[in-house]
Amino acid sequence: MPSPNIIVIGASAGGPRILKELFTGMPPLNASIVIVQHMPKFVNESLCESLSRCTEMRVSVAQNGEQLERKKVYVAPSEVHLTLVDNQKVWLFNGERVNFACPSIDVTMGSLQKILGIGVVGVILTGMGKDGADGIRHIKKIGGTTIAQDEKTSIIYGMPKEACETGAIDFVLSPKLIMNKLIELVGVV
Amino acid sequence: MRYGVLLVDDDPSVRHTVSRILKSAHVNIKSVTSGRECLKELERGFKGLILMDIVMPEMDGWDTIKEIVDRGRYKDIIICMLTGKEEPDIKMDRLKEYVLDYIRKPFDTIKFVELVKEYLSYLK
Repeated sequence: MPSPNIIVIGASAGGPRILKELFTGMPPLNASIVIVQHMPKFVNESLCESLSRCTEMRVSVAQNGEQLERKKVYVAPSEVHLTLVDNQKVWLFNGERVNFACPSIDVTMGSLQKILGIGVVGVILTGMGKDGADGIRHIKKIGGTTIAQDEKTSIIYGMPKEACETGAIDFVLSPKLIMNKLIELVGVV
Repeated sequence: MRYGVLLVDDDPSVRHTVSRILKSAHVNIKSVTSGRECLKELERGFKGLILMDIVMPEMDGWDTIKEIVDRGRYKDIIICMLTGKEEPDIKMDRLKEYVLDYIRKPFDTIKFVELVKEYLSYLK
């Protein structure tokens, strides 16, 4: 059964501690969550383990060809880009850095499509640069909901600021309020 | 292998304070005064968490990270900036994949120690 909702979360410097705050106490959501965090490859599994301790949802590194399931969190592996085929299937590929990053948040968010019956949410957390801004614009264009972390709680406000400046952000919130908003948008199972 | 912390900062008072805090939390820490010394420690085989200042004479924190990457020494290390600089400069954008966190001075001691231990636990 396809997941009824897809949430893509993008983060860069400071992301691991903000993600931890965001996921602490998060109940199983009626959605698949994909995290694109700029980080060295050997940290991929450690980040999954750290987040697994915060939420009941299963957290793992996304595998090529994997079919997304609801109540699961997928961390994009480093050094490859991650796209979603029909919003449901992971496709990893080697490619040039986009916005000085691989994986790039823009690439993942940009792969999402408008599909009847599948809700899309894009979230931009702390980080330097403008990765994610084009992705947010795209998600808004296909009818999704967009959220940026607020300045007060961002460790580096660069990425959320760039996302806000697109004019395509629906909500500007702290990590705890982002969790509440996600629960409200997709529901709990 | 027990991973430690390498503090890179040209300010002796910062080196003293951070070393004291982490030693009292039973964290193995070594401090150096410049990017060049940091590179020497990596050549000697340091593995662990690097707490890197940004503004340093001769070679700043960003140039040091670039040199670490260019020399192929970016293995089994996590880099976090530890700085009084409120906003990072544009140099960081090209290096963001190598910088996991950005910690501002002054910091909350308890949260700082927790964060250091969390990142050390990432290395195994």
